[in-house]
Amino acid sequence: MSKPRRNWNEVNAASLARWIVLTGFLALTGLCYVYLTLQLYHLGDRKKALETEVANLRMQNEVASAQIAALTSRSALQRRLKEGYLKMIPIAEHDIVRLSLPPRNPDDAIQPVSNRRSAR
Amino acid sequence: MKWNCRTRCALVCLGFIFLFSLFSFRLIYLQMIKHDEYAGLAAEKHVIKQPIFAERGTILDANNEILANNIPVETVVADASRLNNVDATVNLVADELKLPRAEVSEKLHSDRRYIVLKREVAKANADLLGQKLHAQNLRGVYFEQDATRVYPNNTMLCHVIGFTDFEHKGIQGVEGSLDEYLHGQDGYRYIEHNRAGQEIVLYRGQERAPRNGYQVHLTVDLNLQNIVENEIDAAMREYSPKKATIILMRPQTGEILAMANRPAFDLNKRADAKPEEMKNRAICDMMEPGSTFKIVTAAAALNEHKYSLDSYIFCENGVWNYGGTPLHDHAAFSDLSVKDILVKSSNIGAAKLGISLGDQKFYEYIRRFGFGERTGVELPGEIPGLIRPPQSWSKISITHIPMGHEIGVTPLQMTTAMCAIANGGTLMTPRIVKSITTGDGKTISTLKPIALRRVISSQTAAQIGMALRGVVSDRGTAAAAAVPGFIIAGKTGTAQKVGPHGGYEKGKEVVSFCGYLPADHPEFVGLVVLDDAQTKPEQNYGGQVAGPIFSRIAEKAARYLDLEPHEEIRKAVPVERVALTSSSRH
Repeated sequence: MSKPRRNWNEVNAASLARWIVLTGFLALTGLCYVYLTLQLYHLGDRKKALETEVANLRMQNEVASAQIAALTSRSALQRRLKEGYLKMIPIAEHDIVRLSLPPRNPDDAIQPVSNRRSAR
Repeated sequence: MKWNCRTRCALVCLGFIFLFSLFSFRLIYLQMIKHDEYAGLAAEKHVIKQPIFAERGTILDANNEILANNIPVETVVADASRLNNVDATVNLVADELKLPRAEVSEKLHSDRRYIVLKREVAKANADLLGQKLHAQNLRGVYFEQDATRVYPNNTMLCHVIGFTDFEHKGIQGVEGSLDEYLHGQDGYRYIEHNRAGQEIVLYRGQERAPRNGYQVHLTVDLNLQNIVENEIDAAMREYSPKKATIILMRPQTGEILAMANRPAFDLNKRADAKPEEMKNRAICDMMEPGSTFKIVTAAAALNEHKYSLDSYIFCENGVWNYGGTPLHDHAAFSDLSVKDILVKSSNIGAAKLGISLGDQKFYEYIRRFGFGERTGVELPGEIPGLIRPPQSWSKISITHIPMGHEIGVTPLQMTTAMCAIANGGTLMTPRIVKSITTGDGKTISTLKPIALRRVISSQTAAQIGMALRGVVSDRGTAAAAAVPGFIIAGKTGTAQKVGPHGGYEKGKEVVSFCGYLPADHPEFVGLVVLDDAQTKPEQNYGGQVAGPIFSRIAEKAARYLDLEPHEEIRKAVPVERVALTSSSRH
């Protein structure tokens, strides 16, 4: 009488467990890789956004600096002074103290002279 | 022959081997032999070298006031192949950028892929246009980041500062001469982009940061420059000369404190400027200096001990025939001391001083004073002037050159020569650049004064200085150049104007005054030159036109520099000074 034939295969539990662990590990590694790669993309985008923001701030700073320089420039201040925007009072001629000339020394004929015309 | 199963299998296998060998060879060919070529082609498709532009350095005055800086702007460009609604884009762009509709339409209806619509668009305007394009879903218009140069003081110091072209290359003034320091070095970055043209930051490649341009600090003091500019404008209104130049210089160091020319132009509207307005006449124009040149003649004669300051020379009572040509003085002088030759500005006296030196020796002194060669100031386009060698002098040249005729000098050369007298006999190289620093203040280079050579002894310089004090006295030709409270030394000059075709133009004069203050310890040397001043002929002299301008500048400059009035004068009137001070309070 022949031996009855077995209708199932034997399962090697240890081997199966090894394969499951290995597959799980590989899957996890893959997921981690995808996650980290996505994180890198995300961080790259954030980096780019920050760079743009810094560049915009720098640009705004430059515009502001240029405006300050233009508004405080000598010609701008003089124009505003002329328009009466800046309430500065020019020193009147009678407020300026001038030094008188020394008496003429007969030994040295060369003396500085007062120049009324230039003193305006 | 009958093929059995084994043979057929072997043939199929061989076929596969041959096929895969072909694939393998092709793979090796592509991956190894043609690797660089195809990798390059692939990189061209998606890797670009993105430039990172360096900022141009700023230009500052001696007190760190900004003379030139940058402002970010945008260049609006279009790609005609990507426009989805040309007519709507034309309307929007023309309205927002204030451009003629026809011009925009012509540009956008072409098939070009890079069309510059407008440069130097303010950031705010560009942003607004971008938003409107986005809102209307219009494509094909792009914005490129750029920067433009702005000059806060408009016309002030325009010839010294200069300007840049639209590629940001300095082409005049300090912008041109110091371009290598100002322009910096652009950086770059290799980037990869996706199909939408956006950068994939993850694949950012090699990168080099830009180096911004250095800051250039000038020796010019904007306060003094302002004084000079106001006075040169006043002179233009009063005398309407064709050209005018004023220079202030520190004699001990050669630092240029102020330099102004007219006509001038607005640096922010340089496209409207005419070529004549853009010339820095202080270094690009030559003139016959006239009597101011007598300081060179007298200094040479004294330095060679041909005469002393008190030696008398017969001045032929106003007319002297030499070489068949009469030489005139403006008044009939008989015997004049060397000092009085300068004080009275005698042409005949100066001619006799020149003759005493001889052609060769006199020529040597002219060259030693720096005439006939470029001064070396850090400004482009300087000319050397025109000094002919003695071999080509005529018989009467030795009588004309001592009084400043038959030669061509630049205003800066004349100022530098006067500085040599003022500082005790040393010819200094004029400097306009004080230092070069990085943006955060680290010094790259400090330019120290350069003493070129000793021209005359300090004793001779002092003697000439004494004589020049007399010029600005009631006995001299420049009484109007005096400044109350200070003793000034200076020399007037009045020369007939040389016409464009040679010969002198009748009734047209170049009047000048070159002087320094205070006479004993000079703080600055000033030169005022007016070309063809419109005034009465009897008043068209250096002492009467240029002298008062110098006086006003010197007075204001002395106040600004807080110079002490002359000791002798202060001692002489202590009581009156106090009285004046107290009265002024009421």
